[in-house]
Amino acid sequence: MAPDAAPLIGVLAIQGDFEAHGRVLRRLGANVREVRVPADLEDVAGLVIPGGESTTIMLGIERERLAGPLRAVVRSGLPVLGSCAGLILLDRAHLGLMDMTAERNAFGRQIRSFEADIELAGLPGGPLHAIFIRAPWIAAHGPDRRDPRGSFDGHPVVRSPGTDARRCLSQRAER
Amino acid sequence: MARGIFKSEDPPGRARAIVEATTHWQDPERVAGASRGLGPAMISLESSKLEGEQLLAQRGS
Repeated sequence: MAPDAAPLIGVLAIQGDFEAHGRVLRRLGANVREVRVPADLEDVAGLVIPGGESTTIMLGIERERLAGPLRAVVRSGLPVLGSCAGLILLDRAHLGLMDMTAERNAFGRQIRSFEADIELAGLPGGPLHAIFIRAPWIAAHGPDRRDPRGSFDGHPVVRSPGTDARRCLSQRAER
Repeated sequence: MARGIFKSEDPPGRARAIVEATTHWQDPERVAGASRGLGPAMISLESSKLEGEQLLAQRGS
């Protein structure tokens, strides 16, 4: 893909794992813009809300008055991916952009962190190697309409409920 | 003597300012804005002037 034809993907850069997400997106051929203020959302073709600490990120979203603009661009159809804390921020209790309720630190404290290969329905290429670091799970969610979706130990951890353009995963994924 | 964030005049204000300035480290105006109105400059002790038990490295051992 020629550099100027590459999509511009915004990565919310308030706190957390934004640099690592940007690195992977660039490796995959995207142009990346770190999003810190509402103006940074202009012209992005997709948005990633990375992992981190969800309360800290939410405080930053409020300080920068980003909640309204984030909701507006996603509701107008911008594809969004939330990873770990990003999943929490998309849920009903936070930005309200996905029809689900996240349970924070659902697998336990830091010492209960683990790695696992999870099978994802609707995503070719075999299982996903996932790293759960104080990861959430999805305690309740509306009907799944899209893939990919996946669970670990009976708990939903990857979901795409509601719309084609919104995805979330509760962990860092490597392949 | 006031030291660091927690012993500054306004710890929540100073902490908020540090977080905001860190997020916007590439934006000089935001860094300057966050740095205003915080009272006296952050005072601290120079580690080479600390002795013995004042050094964190010696504590709890």
